[in-house]
Amino acid sequence: MDGNIVGYALHYSGILIEAALILYVARSSHGNRPLSVLPYLSCLLAADLARAYTLREYGLTSRQYSYIYWSTDFLLVISAFFLVCLFFRRACLHQEKMWRFVRLLLAFICLLVVGISGLLFSHNYGNLLTGFIVEFNQNLYFTCLVLNTLLYLLLQQIDSADDQLGLLVCGVGIQFAGPAATLALFHLMTGEGFAQSLAHFTIPLCTIGMLLVWAYAVVHVKDTATQVTRRQIPVLAEVTAHFNIQV
Amino acid sequence: MKNLVLTFLLALLVVLTCVSIRRMVSGTPSFAGQKPALVAIGCAPVPPLPKPTQ
Repeated sequence: MDGNIVGYALHYSGILIEAALILYVARSSHGNRPLSVLPYLSCLLAADLARAYTLREYGLTSRQYSYIYWSTDFLLVISAFFLVCLFFRRACLHQEKMWRFVRLLLAFICLLVVGISGLLFSHNYGNLLTGFIVEFNQNLYFTCLVLNTLLYLLLQQIDSADDQLGLLVCGVGIQFAGPAATLALFHLMTGEGFAQSLAHFTIPLCTIGMLLVWAYAVVHVKDTATQVTRRQIPVLAEVTAHFNIQV
Repeated sequence: MKNLVLTFLLALLVVLTCVSIRRMVSGTPSFAGQKPALVAIGCAPVPPLPKPTQ
């Protein structure tokens, strides 16, 4: 019961923070850069509202809630992938050559995740939710986690002057890495009670953590994306030149 | 064409790394007979997966 109360409190707090952040970002007229998080935040709010309604009507263990939860998770991982793509675009704002390479790489990655999840679905044909959607969600989730880490390393490499983007990427890192780390702990502890309860609260806590970091980034950190990077390092230019991409 | 193939191979490497990490972290149905643990996005409580329809 206590766990349920904490779960509901986290759920509704998350909805309130999401709504407040959407309103702030939509109303702030200075700089359009934070608007890139708006589609993802809208999807997050819509998903959480739909889940809250279904949870209240049918309960946690109902089939309806499960279907709504995993279907909206499908929408959320896809929007998270596009958010990471937008962040890559923003990071490569002054490096068109690198962006052409990254764009192609992201397109291939998206196709490959669909293909690999589809292969597993072909072994479990006839069960779309557990056979394909959940499998696809999990694969794309971990892909976003790895891509976000690569993006963070890229920002360090090019010594980006865009501090706001750095914080937004860190927020996404909290969102993705926290549950993955807890899952690893859960697996190592072979599903003991402590790890199980930790895993139960980590997902909403990490989402709220991401929202709070984003709120700080949007409210307090200046948008400096239009400035040129602090110091041009030719290392990545050499890497992209090595690929010599002509798209 | 060569660059396209190289980019595709790099993308394949990234995706296979992600899938491997996922399998290591969350387990597979065949691992010690446990159901795979799941990650998700959002603030709502995570429900159990519905049983597959026969």
